[in-house]
Amino acid sequence: MTEQNSRGSGPKSIGFLTGDTDDGRNIDTTLGTLSGEAASQATLATKHDVVLHSKAFPYVPSSQSQASPSYYNQPLLKQPVWIWSIPAYFYVGGVAGVGATLGAAAQLMAPKSMRSLVIRSRWVAIIGGVISSGLLIHDLGRPARFLNMLRVFRVSSPMSMGSWILSAFSSAAGAAALAPFGPKLLQPLGEAAGVLAGLFGLGLSGYTGVLISQTAVPVWQESYRTNPILFLASGAAAAGSFFEFFRLNARESHAVERFALMGKFLEFAALLVLQAEARRVSRVARPLEEGFSGFLWRAAKLAIIAGIAVSVLPGKSRAKSVVSGVLGSAASLFVRFGVFYAGKASARDPRASFEQQRQLSGRPR
Amino acid sequence: MANGFFTDTTLCIGCKACEVACKQWNQLPDDGYHFTGMSYDNTMALGSSTWRHVSFIERPAPIGDADTGGLAWLMASDVCKHCARAGCLENCPTGAIIRTEFGSVYVQPDVCNGCGYCVSGCPFGVIDRNHEDGRAWKCTLCYDRQKDGMQPACAKACPTASIQFGEINDLRHRARERVDKLHELGVKEAYLYGEDAASQPGTEGLNAFFLLLDKPEVYNLPPHPEVPTHKGKKSWISAGLAAIGVTALAFASVMLGNSARE
Repeated sequence: MTEQNSRGSGPKSIGFLTGDTDDGRNIDTTLGTLSGEAASQATLATKHDVVLHSKAFPYVPSSQSQASPSYYNQPLLKQPVWIWSIPAYFYVGGVAGVGATLGAAAQLMAPKSMRSLVIRSRWVAIIGGVISSGLLIHDLGRPARFLNMLRVFRVSSPMSMGSWILSAFSSAAGAAALAPFGPKLLQPLGEAAGVLAGLFGLGLSGYTGVLISQTAVPVWQESYRTNPILFLASGAAAAGSFFEFFRLNARESHAVERFALMGKFLEFAALLVLQAEARRVSRVARPLEEGFSGFLWRAAKLAIIAGIAVSVLPGKSRAKSVVSGVLGSAASLFVRFGVFYAGKASARDPRASFEQQRQLSGRPR
Repeated sequence: MANGFFTDTTLCIGCKACEVACKQWNQLPDDGYHFTGMSYDNTMALGSSTWRHVSFIERPAPIGDADTGGLAWLMASDVCKHCARAGCLENCPTGAIIRTEFGSVYVQPDVCNGCGYCVSGCPFGVIDRNHEDGRAWKCTLCYDRQKDGMQPACAKACPTASIQFGEINDLRHRARERVDKLHELGVKEAYLYGEDAASQPGTEGLNAFFLLLDKPEVYNLPPHPEVPTHKGKKSWISAGLAAIGVTALAFASVMLGNSARE
């Protein structure tokens, strides 16, 4: 009878003061009901042993003994709860979104000579859109409630806007990809859907930069101007690099190479600007320079430089395209994961927030 | 009408009756048993199942002119601030987080899908996701008790009136009188934290504000918190400009490619 540790589903046994739930609430259900505001909250793994925090706390939280006080070095913020699937989504959404934009440009400017690029971009868009939804749902605490994302249209929330953008993008990309299989009458609609997918694709790759800017995380907040620029540029580099894997005609592959190369330059510039922005408060820039996120950040820079070097090598070959594609894709992944883990590290450092706010409070908002 | 808390930390004796009353009334599960070595603080921070948290600060400096042997022990009961501009609420994509008729910020557990965006949107690190059930939880300002005309459990249980509940304008008035009184008594450090929009423009004022005796950082409170929505708004402009840039890049590449020799 001591085995029961359900969410207060009932008494262990019936009798006076013996009905206590064993879920960390210790409520005698023969006397009371489980109807409090948090009665439905799941029990955190209840340990009945005392957890000793062996780490000594050398800092006393006093401003009078320290120039830069904190509360026992405890984090001020809660670390973002998101997992690997979020930066993976940043990458996939970037490829699908900007890929659709490139496809729409080709559809409008060179509908005949670049037809296979147009068709492929639509398939990349719809498959990327579906994978994106999967990655996002996987990250939810309550995946079964994913449809609640479309319950409201809240302009103040980039995540709400993003949910609508992703839905619109996937619908347009799906219509555009499937239209060629439909009757002739539907073709103009398919072409229109292709252009729409290109437009929503820009939103899809850009809003994620806004989304991380609108948080209390110091390093994400400090670079609010550059985040969407970096995300769109990285999306362009990643989409171009992804298309380099396809066998395309000469015009198409020339266009794709140009696009990937310009995307890489823009991505590199945005990386440098973002870091310079963060460095206005040295503590805020720290996760870009140290630890796992600092490593990813350096790896991103190296991969972009290597990718540019390969792209500008003379000559054309399949191997060159593939190497350039691999380097460009890796760089974009390093950028997304680097930014993501820098945010996690930044949220763990209370002094990053304190110094940012002290130093910049006089600055006009 | 907006109700809120005025937490006067000079009256706090660190009894943790507020923590216990909150746990009991809301039927929150326990968090396990931790021994931290951080003075008498063994709950460490606010979280999904800790909606009141008493911090203990052993300070090697006296308060005011009092002869306390060069020491002071500061205690403060922290809670969700129910900000006038709440980062969690403005970030919530599902509409699970709402502003109640009492001016408080409330998470509807039957709507929340656990996206976690509120967690990153709170400049105070208050709201957190329960990793077992996947939903976000925080202080409700005892929404259920208020609907029945009762005061929140923590304020009711506080034996020293360190936690005072009431209409926010009344509380401000009371708090300012208290600061004047303390200054008169020689406690010159006393000041209010987040009592209105003028003193904390970033959040436009807190419905749960504090009387403190040291820098906010000492209590693990941000010195100048700001609702992240301000940064987000400006970030959209960047996104728009970058989108135009990438579109130009796409058209330029297609043109370059199209003019290339077969």
